[in-house]
Amino acid sequence: MSKIIVMTSGKGGVGKTTSSAAFATGLALRGFKTVVIDFDVGLRNLDLVMGCERRVVFDFINVINGEAKLSQALIKDKRIDNLYILPTSQTRDKDALTREGVERVLNDLSKEFDYILCDSPAGIERGALMSLYFADHAIIVTNPEVSSVRDSDRILGVLNSRSRRAEQGLEPVSQQLLLTRYDPERVEKGEMLKVDDVLEILAIPLLGVIPESQAVLRASNVGMPVILDEASNAGQAYTDAVGRFLGEEIEHRFVNPQKKGLFSRLLRRSA
Amino acid sequence: MSIFSFFRSAPRPSAVQAKERLQIVMAHERAGRTGPDYLPMLQQELLAVIAKYIDIDQNKVEVKLDRGGDCSTLELNIELPAREQLKSAMAAVKQAKPEPKAASGEGEDGKLAANGPLTNGGVKKRH
Repeated sequence: MSKIIVMTSGKGGVGKTTSSAAFATGLALRGFKTVVIDFDVGLRNLDLVMGCERRVVFDFINVINGEAKLSQALIKDKRIDNLYILPTSQTRDKDALTREGVERVLNDLSKEFDYILCDSPAGIERGALMSLYFADHAIIVTNPEVSSVRDSDRILGVLNSRSRRAEQGLEPVSQQLLLTRYDPERVEKGEMLKVDDVLEILAIPLLGVIPESQAVLRASNVGMPVILDEASNAGQAYTDAVGRFLGEEIEHRFVNPQKKGLFSRLLRRSA
Repeated sequence: MSIFSFFRSAPRPSAVQAKERLQIVMAHERAGRTGPDYLPMLQQELLAVIAKYIDIDQNKVEVKLDRGGDCSTLELNIELPAREQLKSAMAAVKQAKPEPKAASGEGEDGKLAANGPLTNGGVKKRH
């Protein structure tokens, strides 16, 4: 039986798609057969971040509407075995996501895959609701910033009241926090919320802290999930987060400012 | 950094303010999330009770819940018909519902009927 994960946040631009691409790749690297689905109908971007934008022929909505077979719409990643992308439509709108249609596609996928990762759109409307409705596990992507934290709290409320598990009175959707764009130096200066502040406010367990990193933009420029940039802090932080998701105990890195030698202080700009 | 900044007392870090503001706003929002679902029901049932005695305009009823720090206010605004309208209205109600048990003559004396709208039937509730 496969596990359904939703990557969600409420607020836009906090790193859901970046994190979905990285996380799905990380799970596949661990040997799990993984599919990542773009739920952002009309504003698809997962294909670009994953670097498969030129291979999209059929999409999720075609499959829901019976216009294409699932196997025709699934795109196999060229770098990683076990990794598949289900892109969404760029031309239709969110109304194309029917609960019955989404359920049917997820049921078909769960026969084949270990993990189904749903990349939620921003907001709390149809697309976001459909992406979280069937989830067993939610990863809440949050920036250390007031509007993002508030929206995350809102989406936690939605998960607890409007998911399938909530509606059917099953065990609640498990929830973990992924704090992204974290800048330990600004935290130290008192300019940014600390990890502990956000944890205290949202009161859910911490899956990982992804440091603010130039590697994220570089990776999306070339269509490569940032987790494959093994030299980067962000890539390593995602690898750790995937390990923790699978139940391993891994200490949090990148939470404190790196100690700098005289040399790197002099060359601060190039870091 | 100017030399003067040395003499100023350090301002409160903005992150501290961010945390405090979030804690306050989210305490309210969380309370609201579990709270106000009963308001429409409450409004309907209150109306049903009042309509037993007085013929009121359904559109002239307002139910409002204000959340304060340690004290919330439930405010009911019900506009009653003017005195002369009330008499005839009461007669109509009496005809429609003969002998409402608890409704002795009190309503007819116009005890409830102020001149014009009756406001602020407020109930205060402490958390």
